[in-house]
Amino acid sequence: MTERFEFHKPNRALQLYAGLFMAMLYVPILFIPLFSFSDGLYIRFPIESFTLRWYAELFERTAVLRALENSVRVAVSVAIVSTVLGVFAAKALARYRIPGRGPILGFILLPLVVPPIIFGVALLLLVSALKIPLSLYTIAAGHIIICLPFAIATLLPRFEGYDAAMEEAAADLGENGWWVFWRVTVPIILPGIVASLLLTFTVSFDEFVMAFFLGGTDLTLPLYIWGQLRIPRAFPVVLALGTLILLFSFALVFIGLRIGRRGAIKLVDRG
Amino acid sequence: MKIPQMISAAKRGTLSRRAFTQSLLAVGIVPVISQVAPQRARASGTRHATVFTWGGFDVPELYQDYVEKHGDLPDFAIFGAPEDGLTRLRSGFAADLIHPCMGDIPRWRSTGLFQPIDTSRLSNWPDVIPTLYQAPHNLDDADGGVWQVPFDWGQTSITYRTDLYDLEGEESWDILWDERYAGRIGMLASGDDAWWCAAIKAGVSFDQIHTDEAFEAIAAVLRAQRPLVRTYTDDTSSLNQALAAGEMVAAMTWNSSAVELTFEEVPVRFAQPKEGALTWVCGFMMTQNAPSPDSAYDVLDALLSVSAGEFLTGDYGYGHSNARVLELFDDEELAALTLSRDPADILDAGHRSIPQPPEWSARMNTLYEQIKAGF
Amino acid sequence: MEESPSAARMPLRNRLQGVLIRHESLRGFLLLAPALVILGITVAVPFLLMSAMSLWTQIGFDYADDWSLRNYTAILTEPLYTTLLLRSLTMAMVATFVTVVLVYPMAYFLAFHVHSNKLIWLIIITLPFWTSYLLRVFAWRVILGYEGVINSGLMELGLIGEPLQFLLYSRVAVIITLAHAWAAFAFLPIYVSLEKIDKSMLEASADLGEPPVMRFFRVILPLSMPGVIAGTFLMFIPTVGDYVTPTLVGGPDAAMIGNLIQLQFGTINNWPMGAALAITMILSITLVGLFFMALMHGLRRWAR
Repeated sequence: MTERFEFHKPNRALQLYAGLFMAMLYVPILFIPLFSFSDGLYIRFPIESFTLRWYAELFERTAVLRALENSVRVAVSVAIVSTVLGVFAAKALARYRIPGRGPILGFILLPLVVPPIIFGVALLLLVSALKIPLSLYTIAAGHIIICLPFAIATLLPRFEGYDAAMEEAAADLGENGWWVFWRVTVPIILPGIVASLLLTFTVSFDEFVMAFFLGGTDLTLPLYIWGQLRIPRAFPVVLALGTLILLFSFALVFIGLRIGRRGAIKLVDRG
Repeated sequence: MKIPQMISAAKRGTLSRRAFTQSLLAVGIVPVISQVAPQRARASGTRHATVFTWGGFDVPELYQDYVEKHGDLPDFAIFGAPEDGLTRLRSGFAADLIHPCMGDIPRWRSTGLFQPIDTSRLSNWPDVIPTLYQAPHNLDDADGGVWQVPFDWGQTSITYRTDLYDLEGEESWDILWDERYAGRIGMLASGDDAWWCAAIKAGVSFDQIHTDEAFEAIAAVLRAQRPLVRTYTDDTSSLNQALAAGEMVAAMTWNSSAVELTFEEVPVRFAQPKEGALTWVCGFMMTQNAPSPDSAYDVLDALLSVSAGEFLTGDYGYGHSNARVLELFDDEELAALTLSRDPADILDAGHRSIPQPPEWSARMNTLYEQIKAGF
Repeated sequence: MEESPSAARMPLRNRLQGVLIRHESLRGFLLLAPALVILGITVAVPFLLMSAMSLWTQIGFDYADDWSLRNYTAILTEPLYTTLLLRSLTMAMVATFVTVVLVYPMAYFLAFHVHSNKLIWLIIITLPFWTSYLLRVFAWRVILGYEGVINSGLMELGLIGEPLQFLLYSRVAVIITLAHAWAAFAFLPIYVSLEKIDKSMLEASADLGEPPVMRFFRVILPLSMPGVIAGTFLMFIPTVGDYVTPTLVGGPDAAMIGNLIQLQFGTINNWPMGAALAITMILSITLVGLFFMALMHGLRRWAR
């Protein structure tokens, strides 16, 4: 079989293409770290001298640290809320015969395919009609909408992937529903929960459009960066900050995807 | 303990190990159980003022007196254009001070969102140059306050590369309409600048700017310019970088671009067009429901101080409203910054925009967007 | 709980529990309720509000709720709106097409030619997608700029004497940036649909002596079409409304409808018009989507 089937033979052209593809995917992003070490105010090639001073300057700016703090607060809350909601919803979708399951799943995953600007605008209208002041809360509310689909899509395969008989056995032993949930269900889906927390954290942490429309006085990190892009002398520091954010996000997502296995990747298949 | 304070405490070496452990715990737990929005506790017991301004006006150099008194900078919110800021305020955004320009005052006042400022609470007020605030729509008749405290003034004009742009005759607005340099002209995206400058170029008198004929004449001038324009942007970083690289030979800018490029040893000049530049005075207005008015007065006083002015003029190239700042610079330096000892010299030599009603702004902005998009 | 419930509540409680146990769909809905309520409040209500506001008129700083179609008439008759809308749709389409074409061979490679560590490959391909969109767009400014990486590189090599101007501030720049930023979104569904193809079917076709090229067009491509369609939608829909990319790398000719919507809520300050534009955008995306589906359906029938 291996002999006559070409998929087991290396295909040079495809390998080359895959290499180029990966390079095109990553090289552009790598220029941000590269120029964050450049000594000049303006981006110019080749880089004349290297420096670490933008990183040092970064930590002297309280505004950056405050924005970081805000972003972390929002992202942690959003990750927890959307994961908890996601656990319930995914359990319901995987365990119970629900009439209209398809449309409901479609409604939950809708935010994945609606341009974020629409949600930003729509929520801004709601919030101002209710006279709710714009704040980190309104940003977090917006982020929950976009994070919920990611959470559910990460968790759903976990619920589908194990035998409900274990829960039933525990229930038959007379344990109440919460006990079964805590001692049986949670340990089994734990990897899904961790993955969902990490991924929703990153999505919220890096989100810009919703935050742009729904943000108040307290800036999140992407809003801060957006404001700083206009100012020439702030520019290299933004590159330094961007480098750290990229590193951090890469680490979190890598761990999240590894723990979550295919869950997060399968999500698009359902969308 | 919040992260910024924690790090500065760690730097000073004042953070005990127990406090450190506690803060580590807090970093992990607090965000979950406490509210999302930070409530920053103050050493002074008062809340910080929130200043809603342009990017670049949130630097410590401008708020030294405030930092001395309150131990930390005020809070900032940044807008791309003052009108964006007003929209935010109208949708319930809580800021104490906002930074529009003089022509906006009557229209902004009509929203009922602002309160007059009691100048007797500002120690630096006696030094403020009167021509900058003595406009009828700015003085509050009831109790002698002002609606806007002037802060920065300057010009919107042309920054051009003296080595790349071949100037024929006098400096003029024609530089930005020079077909020899098609595709190498930069324009400001904000109508508050571009529309008025185009009016000067079109020869429309500012008191006629509300007429239909004026709209047509100005639009025609801007449409003619569009094929020459590389990009429309309000972001000075892009304009400066493009001028430094020679990607643009001339661009409509504020004073600061020319000054910053000169610091970088790029050969540029901030033109004094023969038709006159667009001159402006901007400043701060206080909101009706300012959450912390006392701190806001401290911010205003800090902004009006000589030290803030020295930075604003020396580093950014803008005029400052404190008369004593001008004493720090000699005539030659001021001329290089295209400023003058008497702001009236500059402000009256150019054209100052005239307040317009909201309908005019909406019509102007929509039309300018159309022109930028190619219609 | 069991200690001493009031005699009156006991039966009700039991009855409730009985209902819950018997009707598992009810239990399911109970679990789903928090998510659905939150999404209902934050998605459905604002959409209704937006539809209502799009029929109002901005007067000065106030709205008149005069329920007129004025905003929509303006959108359909004034060239600014129609052009930007059409341009956004076209640019999103081109970017999506380019991305799907570029991503397909990669998905094919991973599905058929990689036999170990597939998960790691998948993670590495999708990794950039999860990270800051703003920064990824921004990276392209660094590359495409007048003194950017490409121009400096080509000048250094002596291939060009003057920097290429069309790289930044152009539609090309927007399309390149969009293609890069959304690659993972288009990649995943295509990969999943290729991975699902039963390998024994391919072997059977090989046994029949069909050449690989024929096999690709007769078996693999048709079977992967659901993935291609899903990828197309997943990328096309969000990119139509993008405004960050045109703002950062597009010039005067690359402004999109998202920019205009954002301006209505800022500088232009006409919220009803912004709402009307947003709704028009959703409707036109839906129309294009339906048309695309019909086209695909027609193609499939024709192919048979």
